[in-house]
Amino acid sequence: MKNFWYLFAAYSTIWTALYVYMIRLSQKNKELQAELRDLRAQLERVLTK
Amino acid sequence: MQKWWSIMFFLMIFPLIYLCINRVFHAIVMYITMNVAIMLVFIYAPTEKMQGIVQKIFYFHVSSAITMFFAFFLVCVASIMYLWKNSDWWDAIALSAAEIGVVFCTLVLITGPLWARPIWGTWWSWDPTLTLTLVLWLIYVAYLMLRIETYDPKRARFAAVLGIIGFVDVPLIRWSVEKWRTLHPKPVLIQEGGTTGLTSAMLLTFLVCLGAFLLLFFYLLRERISVAQSRHALEVLRHDIDEIGVG
Repeated sequence: MKNFWYLFAAYSTIWTALYVYMIRLSQKNKELQAELRDLRAQLERVLTK
Repeated sequence: MQKWWSIMFFLMIFPLIYLCINRVFHAIVMYITMNVAIMLVFIYAPTEKMQGIVQKIFYFHVSSAITMFFAFFLVCVASIMYLWKNSDWWDAIALSAAEIGVVFCTLVLITGPLWARPIWGTWWSWDPTLTLTLVLWLIYVAYLMLRIETYDPKRARFAAVLGIIGFVDVPLIRWSVEKWRTLHPKPVLIQEGGTTGLTSAMLLTFLVCLGAFLLLFFYLLRERISVAQSRHALEVLRHDIDEIGVG
């Protein structure tokens, strides 16, 4: 198991980075969709008055 | 040999098919492929005699590099289409592919030194392949920095030109791997004469890893395009609200 640390570090970096990026992207997507819905609803309310 | 090329072809074509299918199914297939890939790397693929266990970095290092090249190729094509058609859709694809390409390029630049340290005895060498890869990363980081602020057609066009010119670095990297005598090893996947330097078990493991990363790339691309489109829709809506004078 010589050099195991390097293998561990490489795989940890890959999966942590990809996991964090995927979660961040998913959260951003949800936030923007919610903001978009709110603004559309707000606009609709004003226009129907 | 033809059998391996057929497998490779199908692995390349599957992500394109899944792109057209629904998001949940895509995520499930990607998750299963990822797990199979990891199992193949640690259970099925033999340990290389010279380098030992650290050679297993190869499977995801090279897969990241190929995914990165594909991402930047997509930036180049989408940027050309954006300049030609002036469509926001192509701009969203180019921007999304550039961001994901930078993520994979960062992984290449991190896993490369982690593999190099025990094998070469150094973390980094300013040889052409490594330097050109760093330059590629810097080019597309500059591309993303150009696009940090809100949508501006002038900046988008300038970034598109950078995205096209930046892609010139990709064939240079490939050429440097093949032709320059450097610390970086020559290609083992496809050698001169169309042969491979990998055993069949290693090749199969690598192809599954590559397929998993391409599926991941298309999943991330779909998510990132959705973010770009939502941002654009928000800007348009805010502009409309300002014009109407709401709030």
